[in-house]
Amino acid sequence: MRNICLIIFLLLPFLSAQADTMVVEVRIKDHLFFPDEIRIPADTKVKLLIKNEDVTAEEFESYELNREKVIAGGSQAIVFIGPLSIGVYPFFGEFFPKTAQGKVIVE
Amino acid sequence: MKSIRLYLLLALLATITLVNFVSLLHGYQSSMQKAESLFDSRLKSTAMLIKLANSAKQNQQHSAEKEDPYTFFQIFNESGNELIIHSSNAPHIMLGELSEGFHDVNFASYRWRNYVHEDTKLQRWIVVAERIDIRYILAEDVVLESLVPIVLAIPVSALIIWFAVGLGLKPLTLFATQLSHKRVDDLSPITLERVPSELTTVVNSTNSLLLRLEEAFDREQRFSADAAHELRTPVSVLKVHLHNLGTRLGRQDEDIVLLTEGVERMGHLIEQILALYRTSPDQAAVKFEQVDVFKTVQSLIAFNYDTFDRKQQTIDLDGESHVIEANLFALETLVMNLINNANKYTPEQGEIHVEVKRHELGVLLRVEDSGPGIPEAQRERVFERFYRLHGDRHDSGVVGCGLGLTIVKHIADLHHATINLGTSANGGGLRVDVIFPLRAISHA
Amino acid sequence: MLLNAVIIVLREVLEASLLASTFLAISQMLQRDRKWIFFAFSLGLVMGSIYALSISSVSMMFGGAGQEILNASMQTLIYLSLLVFAAAVPHQNKPLFRNLTIISLVFAVVLSLSREGSEVLLFITGFIGVPTLFNSVLLGGAVGAGIGLSVGVFFYYLLIHLTPRFGVWLGYVILLLISGSMMSQAVEFMMQADIFSSTAPVWDSSSLISERSISGQLLYALIGYEATPTLSQVIAYIGSMTLFIVIAITSSTLREKHL
Repeated sequence: MRNICLIIFLLLPFLSAQADTMVVEVRIKDHLFFPDEIRIPADTKVKLLIKNEDVTAEEFESYELNREKVIAGGSQAIVFIGPLSIGVYPFFGEFFPKTAQGKVIVE
Repeated sequence: MKSIRLYLLLALLATITLVNFVSLLHGYQSSMQKAESLFDSRLKSTAMLIKLANSAKQNQQHSAEKEDPYTFFQIFNESGNELIIHSSNAPHIMLGELSEGFHDVNFASYRWRNYVHEDTKLQRWIVVAERIDIRYILAEDVVLESLVPIVLAIPVSALIIWFAVGLGLKPLTLFATQLSHKRVDDLSPITLERVPSELTTVVNSTNSLLLRLEEAFDREQRFSADAAHELRTPVSVLKVHLHNLGTRLGRQDEDIVLLTEGVERMGHLIEQILALYRTSPDQAAVKFEQVDVFKTVQSLIAFNYDTFDRKQQTIDLDGESHVIEANLFALETLVMNLINNANKYTPEQGEIHVEVKRHELGVLLRVEDSGPGIPEAQRERVFERFYRLHGDRHDSGVVGCGLGLTIVKHIADLHHATINLGTSANGGGLRVDVIFPLRAISHA
Repeated sequence: MLLNAVIIVLREVLEASLLASTFLAISQMLQRDRKWIFFAFSLGLVMGSIYALSISSVSMMFGGAGQEILNASMQTLIYLSLLVFAAAVPHQNKPLFRNLTIISLVFAVVLSLSREGSEVLLFITGFIGVPTLFNSVLLGGAVGAGIGLSVGVFFYYLLIHLTPRFGVWLGYVILLLISGSMMSQAVEFMMQADIFSSTAPVWDSSSLISERSISGQLLYALIGYEATPTLSQVIAYIGSMTLFIVIAITSSTLREKHL
């Protein structure tokens, strides 16, 4: 029992505080991201609300952001990113990477 | 590793797949790059054509009609903020960077590749764009045509490899079937046509092993037969001397009785060993003749009647005449062994029942007694040489050497007959069924 | 489209086929019936299809974090099955532990196949309505699956051709690496769902080996490589592997004591 308490205590700093987070909406239409450039402030957590308006599924993926999420056709999904340091973080739709390209610009 | 064939199939197939697919990907990539640069140079030359065909520097207030929705062009003034002329499907603003070269932009729900060219002479910018997805599909269509056969070839190669490997392993399979189909007593060498070099050693050493085994068996059998034969005379001499000694000292002398019993047992063992040798299935020189099983049994019972009488046992014979092809001496030995066993193991006043009748598989010889029987677990083992129930401490106290049923088995094998041991329906003793097959029955 | 299809299918198939060939080889070494693998495969594919079909409703569960929570729990369960496996393997003489090894393997295979399978299915079925691309996706999928399965075949035969001692050792190393990458990915999903808070990456090795490159993809499938991991991921990776090693060693020393 004491061990479990210890583990929970150790995990506490990692557990996130659900404060007001900035929401950015991204649409996927015809395998393109709109907008394809997302500007967010540095060191802030941002909630991406991704709406897939295509009939085909898409996977939001970014190696730089370490994020991947499948979004079924005609549905939406939430991905949290940040806090990030200043820089450019490309993301893409893994299922249609030729067209579905975009980047997060942290400034 | 369970199967060589499966291993070879999977390993070869995996190699082919891996090598082919990796080179396919390389081919695809370089082909697509080639196509890409081809499209780019076409886009560039289109821009050059437009530059030469149109020399307007001012806004012309109209758009050029255009059917093809996959490409557009724009001509901007020097600063890039005023559109001089454009195709009807083109955007009205400059997309992307205003610098010489290729750029990718998003417009009207598509991604476009545009080529921006600075017309330094007329101080304007010429923009030509093509839809990337269309370029891509066109290029891929061409490239894919050449790749499909490589992928389709994989299942075909799988099939071919499966059969080719099977063919290559055929000598091994043949060798294995020959080995597994060999009869227990068949020690003849294995013959294979066209032995592959990998198998030569295996076949040769197996054959030499079989040969040595056959020689060893032969030697062993000859040795016991010779020994038994050589022992016959001294034992007979011993019997005569014992008889003389008995008359001189009086037959009731305990030592003499025990000695006589011992010599009797020895004589019996020697006779049995000789019978065993003579009736071995691998003795080729056995003569077959027409023998009536019923009559043989009948005469043997009659001849040995006093043995049963001595133990006050009743013995009866049922059935009718059946002629089979058999070796008379061997058949007699078989019947004698069976009824002697019945006599020995059935207690006094017991019942013995012998039957010879027609069976669906041939002729059935059945011997039943009211003795203790043989437990089911040991029925397989009683045919082994020198095997006796309960080992040496045979509780029936009966003289025996453990060869009787072995001889029965040998003789049955010699006649291709089958033996079944069971429990007698009346009396609960042992029931021995020997079925001589149909093909051995004479039709005469 | 072809290259893209190759990469997506290859990544998933490679992960599944490495796991399956390791398990097949280990059950061969333990002289265990391999019928269960076909059972686990079919069950995994059925579960994968169900997951793929219900992905949009799963996604919106837990305030939009359903997919992450489900993925993270599946990965945690895979990790737990691997722990049970490591604990059970040294005690093959007891029937309970013999059954536990098989059950934990079936569990791990079914879970990982449903996750990988659903992604491949979603990807390929998405193109059924796009005839211009469907052929190239199918071809790419076939190429990716072919490469992934071939690597699995080679890996399987490599494992069973090694001396039993080295083969078992290598099998354990693979399971260890899978353990680490499972838990680090689970943590990543928890951060994506904002259940754990995200922190700055501990290091950035993307200039050395980019996750986009083929070697990066391979390393991701093999050891769960991340170019920019966060502290919690690194802790999860190392911690889960340490626990795996501790359990494996404790279990085998317990056995030696009993002997």
